[in-house]
Amino acid sequence: MSSAPALSACLHCGAALEGGGPYCCAGCQVASAIIAGAGLERYYAERTAFAPRPAPIAGLASLPTVPLPDGRAEVRLAVSGLRCASCVWLVERVLEATPGVVSARVSYGSGRARIVFEPGTVGVAEVAGRVAALGYPPRAASAAAPDGTDRDLLLRLGVAAFCAANVMLASISLYAGWFDGMEDRFSALFRWTTLLVATPAALWCAQPFWRGAWAGIHARLLPMDLPVALGIGVMYATGVVATVAGQHAYFDSLTMLVFLLLAGRVLEARGRRSAAEAAESLAAALPRVARRVVGQAIEVVPLSALRPGDRIEAGAGEELAADGVVEHGHGHVRMALLTGESEPVSVGPGGRVHAGAVVADGGLRIRVESVGGATLLDRMSEELRQAADRPATTGLPDQIAPWFTGATLVLASGTFFAWSARFGVFDAVGPTVAVLVVACPCALALAQPLAVASGLGAAARRGVLVRSGDALLRLGQVDTVILDKTGTITAGEPVVVSADDAVLRLAAGLERFSAHPVALAIVDAAVSRGIPLPEGVDVVETPGFGIDGLVDGAAVRIRSAGPGGVTVAWAEGSGLLHLVDAVRPDAARTVAALRAAGLAVEMCSGDHPEVALRVAAEVGITAVHAAVDPPGKRDRVASRRAAGATVLFAGDGLNDGLALAAADVGVAMGTGAASTMHVADAVVAERQIGPVLAAVRAGRATREVIRRNLTRSLLYNAAAVAAAAAGLVNPLVAALLMPLSSAMVVWGAAGVERRVAREERRWTR
Amino acid sequence: MDAVAFLVPIALGLGATFAVLFLVAVRAGQFEDLDDPGERILHDD
Repeated sequence: MSSAPALSACLHCGAALEGGGPYCCAGCQVASAIIAGAGLERYYAERTAFAPRPAPIAGLASLPTVPLPDGRAEVRLAVSGLRCASCVWLVERVLEATPGVVSARVSYGSGRARIVFEPGTVGVAEVAGRVAALGYPPRAASAAAPDGTDRDLLLRLGVAAFCAANVMLASISLYAGWFDGMEDRFSALFRWTTLLVATPAALWCAQPFWRGAWAGIHARLLPMDLPVALGIGVMYATGVVATVAGQHAYFDSLTMLVFLLLAGRVLEARGRRSAAEAAESLAAALPRVARRVVGQAIEVVPLSALRPGDRIEAGAGEELAADGVVEHGHGHVRMALLTGESEPVSVGPGGRVHAGAVVADGGLRIRVESVGGATLLDRMSEELRQAADRPATTGLPDQIAPWFTGATLVLASGTFFAWSARFGVFDAVGPTVAVLVVACPCALALAQPLAVASGLGAAARRGVLVRSGDALLRLGQVDTVILDKTGTITAGEPVVVSADDAVLRLAAGLERFSAHPVALAIVDAAVSRGIPLPEGVDVVETPGFGIDGLVDGAAVRIRSAGPGGVTVAWAEGSGLLHLVDAVRPDAARTVAALRAAGLAVEMCSGDHPEVALRVAAEVGITAVHAAVDPPGKRDRVASRRAAGATVLFAGDGLNDGLALAAADVGVAMGTGAASTMHVADAVVAERQIGPVLAAVRAGRATREVIRRNLTRSLLYNAAAVAAAAAGLVNPLVAALLMPLSSAMVVWGAAGVERRVAREERRWTR
Repeated sequence: MDAVAFLVPIALGLGATFAVLFLVAVRAGQFEDLDDPGERILHDD
């Protein structure tokens, strides 16, 4: 090693450096130059986290743009890597300083960017390229704007709040008058006021429940909305009669009920939407492009322009855009997403390659045989989409609803006949209405949405995005977990597992100039060990062979040593760096915890038996199925289900998609294939497997809380109905009882997070 | 006490004004993104 050089850190990404220059790699230098060029050096002073290290990205030219009426164009991107608010500021300012860009808005919460630009001045590739060069990989965001239902619900909620508050004020005056005496003209004023204000709440705000009930009747079902609509209807109709007749009405209960139910719906919709949006950002695919050979030249064309018979070229790091046969060139391709095999496969002239495979090293010229929908990748994706059509399950409350409705109607008519037999028809109306009012299952209808919203949040905080309430509830019933190996239990990309610090330092000095997966792994390992990166000079990379250059003024050679390592040789010696697709650090712990939670854990891999068995032994799984093809995985899931198990399947590749869709719950890893994420019920957003466990815990806690809440509110309703049948309930009593039962349910829903946290503590202790 | 005869309508009118303002705000998309504006204010020039 040379005489102790001065230490510094890369100005942009913060990686430790030895003297050398201010930047660790060409990417950071470019990013920093862009920032300085736009006059935004302030960013470095204000940021609260270092910037991500920029990586090369292809395919930006075919991002979909939307032409605007004024001749401008708009592109929507999902930008990843936004670490702090300064990142948002930086991206926006850099874009706005780009000639031709009219406006740029980036949302920190959702990672969405909306950029308007002049297509005549600047191209979409350049706009997106600026974002990429800063180190924030952009992808195409789905064009779908947020749908109107959220806004609609919020409006109804706001109006319901206004109605509830004002009816409450007028009602309190009425109750005060009830006890202390009030002139008739004043009580009439307040009664008509409550009718006036309660009308929009009953007729407009409560519309979702009317519609739900009506749709249920049409489908010959008795959904939870039916007893709710029945209660609201009875309260409003009797209220109108009572107001005209000069008696007390149930308007305060009615408006409060509508407000609480809508609040539950809004919370549930928000939780579900934010999880679904985040999952979609992870799955947003970059449109694929190909480098087509035309005579002596090469042009970049979108996938749609590619035809069978074309020649395309692909180099290290590129994803193949079509199926075809290699014409010349040698190299390795990683088919992990297609087949689950972790090691790159060697290909040469005559070899068959498929779209979706990633070139690990080498350069290939390929004669295209099939493109678009005809490729293996697309056929598999299509098969997945069809397999993923799963019927919706009904929630617990909807299962109870028919019984509940029936029981309410029986009790109400029983009350009516008992009272009219004893005191006459006229006196029977009051208690009957009271029964129908207090039976209105506000707490029951709130129990599920609130608990689900809380469960989705608890899961999201732990790195797993569950897409629907249904999926969350199914997660709670899972008793068998089947895990894929590559990319699920393992990281899916090479990681340096053993290396001497000195050797790693020399290797990183050269590899920091390469984009090969092995190079990235070596530099990452050096950075994470805190080894300052030396500056290699005269670096020459020979694809498929190795990399040469000078470090500390002496020659260093790096050569591939077959799968699992590279050799590093320099003047005085040589060393070996071991790289494998390493098991995720939290895998063994997660498997043990899943087992402790009473779940059976299996592994199902497309990889070779010896690799599969080694990994399984490392994480402590005994039930292993290796060398299984995609239909085989699906059949494994199906046979466990046929045996009565509720199966969770977690995987990342396209080869896992069928199994994922066949399982009761499919969990996709956020680093995997986009089409797999599209069919999954939940997506893990972190580079860990632990969130799978968190998802199961959140599902169980949600189910438990719903069950407990249902039991409580059923008991409560039963007691209240008994009191009403006995003639003990009047509008004041109802107004006090109803919010109390709802508050109990709201408090119970917060218990989901407490339960999940308690489970975690119990396990780590 | 007779004052309530016009105080109640005034109070309702005031409340309804705010309900309408809320309606306008929702329609204008004020509630679509509740997180970013708070961060943005720290940076805007």
